[in-house]
Amino acid sequence: MTPLSLLLIVSSLWFTLGLFAVLTRRNAILILVGIELMLNAANLNFIAFWRYGPPDPDFTGPLFVLFSIAIAAAEAAVGLAIILMVFRHTRSTDLNRLDSLHG
Amino acid sequence: MTPLLILCPMMILAALGAVWLARPVHAALFLALALALTAVVYLAVGADFIGLVQFMVYVGAVAVLIVFSLLITRPGDEAEELLRRPRSWVTGLACTLPVFAVLVYAASRHTCLPDAAPENPSLSVESFGRVLFTTHAPAVLAVGVLLTAVMIGAALFAKEAHASSHTEPTRKPNTPGDS
Amino acid sequence: MSGFDASHSAAVLWAPECWPRLPQRLVEMLLHFCGAPDWLVTIGGLVAAAGTVVGVFLTGFALLSLIERKTLARIQNRIGPNRAGWFGILQPVADGIKMLTKEDIVPTKAEWFLHLLAPILIVVPSILALGVLPYGREWVPVPLDLGLLFFFAVGTLTELAVFMAGWASGSKFPMLGAMRAISQMVSYELPLMLSALGVIMVSGTLSLPGIVAQQSGFLLGFIPAWNVFTPWGLSAGLVFYIASIAEANRCPFDLPEGESEIVAGHMTEYSGFKYALFFMGEYLGLFAISGLGITLFLGGWQAPFPGLGSVPSWIWFFSKLVVVIFSFLWIRGTFPRVRIDQLMRFAWLCLIPMALLTIPAAGIWHFAGGGLIGWAVTVPMLLVPWVVLTIHYNKRLAPATRTYTFADS
Repeated sequence: MTPLSLLLIVSSLWFTLGLFAVLTRRNAILILVGIELMLNAANLNFIAFWRYGPPDPDFTGPLFVLFSIAIAAAEAAVGLAIILMVFRHTRSTDLNRLDSLHG
Repeated sequence: MTPLLILCPMMILAALGAVWLARPVHAALFLALALALTAVVYLAVGADFIGLVQFMVYVGAVAVLIVFSLLITRPGDEAEELLRRPRSWVTGLACTLPVFAVLVYAASRHTCLPDAAPENPSLSVESFGRVLFTTHAPAVLAVGVLLTAVMIGAALFAKEAHASSHTEPTRKPNTPGDS
Repeated sequence: MSGFDASHSAAVLWAPECWPRLPQRLVEMLLHFCGAPDWLVTIGGLVAAAGTVVGVFLTGFALLSLIERKTLARIQNRIGPNRAGWFGILQPVADGIKMLTKEDIVPTKAEWFLHLLAPILIVVPSILALGVLPYGREWVPVPLDLGLLFFFAVGTLTELAVFMAGWASGSKFPMLGAMRAISQMVSYELPLMLSALGVIMVSGTLSLPGIVAQQSGFLLGFIPAWNVFTPWGLSAGLVFYIASIAEANRCPFDLPEGESEIVAGHMTEYSGFKYALFFMGEYLGLFAISGLGITLFLGGWQAPFPGLGSVPSWIWFFSKLVVVIFSFLWIRGTFPRVRIDQLMRFAWLCLIPMALLTIPAAGIWHFAGGGLIGWAVTVPMLLVPWVVLTIHYNKRLAPATRTYTFADS
């Protein structure tokens, strides 16, 4: 097993686990945990291909990861701010209870 | 290769913990562990700068934010969560297993790449910064605008509830009878 | 950092400049002559180098715990510890024995594993951070290219440790203390890092020895070319100094453990050696952050006057450390504790804007070459906001005049 395929397997497992968390968790904050796992799986792929893939003199992989980290931080901040707003209104972070528009 | 062989099982275990554990705080701490291990992997493969940034942003900021909002919202009983697990997990597995199969299939088909990894030079900060601030300067500016907008937006979100507490609380002077 | 280098002559080895590296050299030599392989020599040398740093700063921690009590006592017109040994010199030993022999209590509602992990995680980042600082011309325990980034990255681990301590204790005061501590650390980390950005821009490197080397030389023959003697450096250094007091949880920003409000904050449920570990982590963190401030703004190990080249450089580093730490003690003895909303507002509305303003000032200084143009542009650019902010927040933040009615009036 080459290092590349090892990292790729880990990252596909991470992506799957993140997706699983998003689908099964009910606490909005824990859904965010799943999203972070999926984002990191993608980042891991970029670094793995930069290191073990074809030569990359322009640092495309690390650059993409750097921007992705910055955007993920922004996403986490906004996501948590929204969750806190929702919590303030409903006193709950359980997404299944946010059904006041349910017909 | 050896560090990766040690790190990868740990990463998988940490991610499993983040997904599997019922108590939200435990899950969040395992997420922090998983993100820290990712940073170590980046360091191990030679992307030092990215590894340290990953550690600083994810462990220092994102994980702390998640944990902090768990503290504020105080998610209550995980008994309910455990109770409805079997049903939701079957659905979850049914949805995610095909995704996993597709991903592994795609990952196993990188035969077009050379088998022996070419020795990419490790990430030198100087040349990395040069590329970042010349070729990708517009993207850096865009990210800067995005982060500023996020900062202002998050501050506005947070301000709404605390608007009343900003004013100095008025104190009633003590009356002699009280003391 | 390759294995034993036989080219080091005895003269270089025994020079005062290299004294702090003697343990490392001796271990390397010993292993080399015992026929150990090269990697073992390297690892042994690194362990000895780390041991030197840890030993020096643990001694410093013991001394500081005594000096702090003595200084505070002097400020408050008391005598302070004077029973154990002459001048109370054995007080740290007595404290240590007391802490070690105390019963270790874990509350029944606590999560024992996280409760145990937290004090360890508090100490580890401080020691890691101490490992990358340049203490002398020849004494850099681990010379990293990304030393500054490494310092900040490991420093963020403290927040998670504080959270673990507060949450795992399973009671309300630790939880409140942890919430306060985390919000304070997150808010004050921003000005801390932003004020370091100007230094990175001007010196063009993230390596701490490189930043020290950039501050060598003297202006006009007698003013040291330290960053603090430039307008942007003074401004950034001031922000860094205030933020580092908050980051080290020192008075007047010691709200997380404000004993009059929330007992001891996140440390409430700890006793014995774990409690001592929290204190150790706090003091080691204080050493680390002051050391970083010295490296960034006060010229690191550079001598303060010309013509002192014969004095070993690490003496200058530690002299500066003593001065900075003494100023922390003085501030602790002088200022009252601030309120939590004043603390947060001060960080977000005063320190962060000022830290942001020092970045363009550093850029202008860098491109103007530091000459007259640099002074003419950056001094008003920074002085005006500082004065305006000071006046404004003195008006806004000063407590309203309160009326007290006393029983006997």
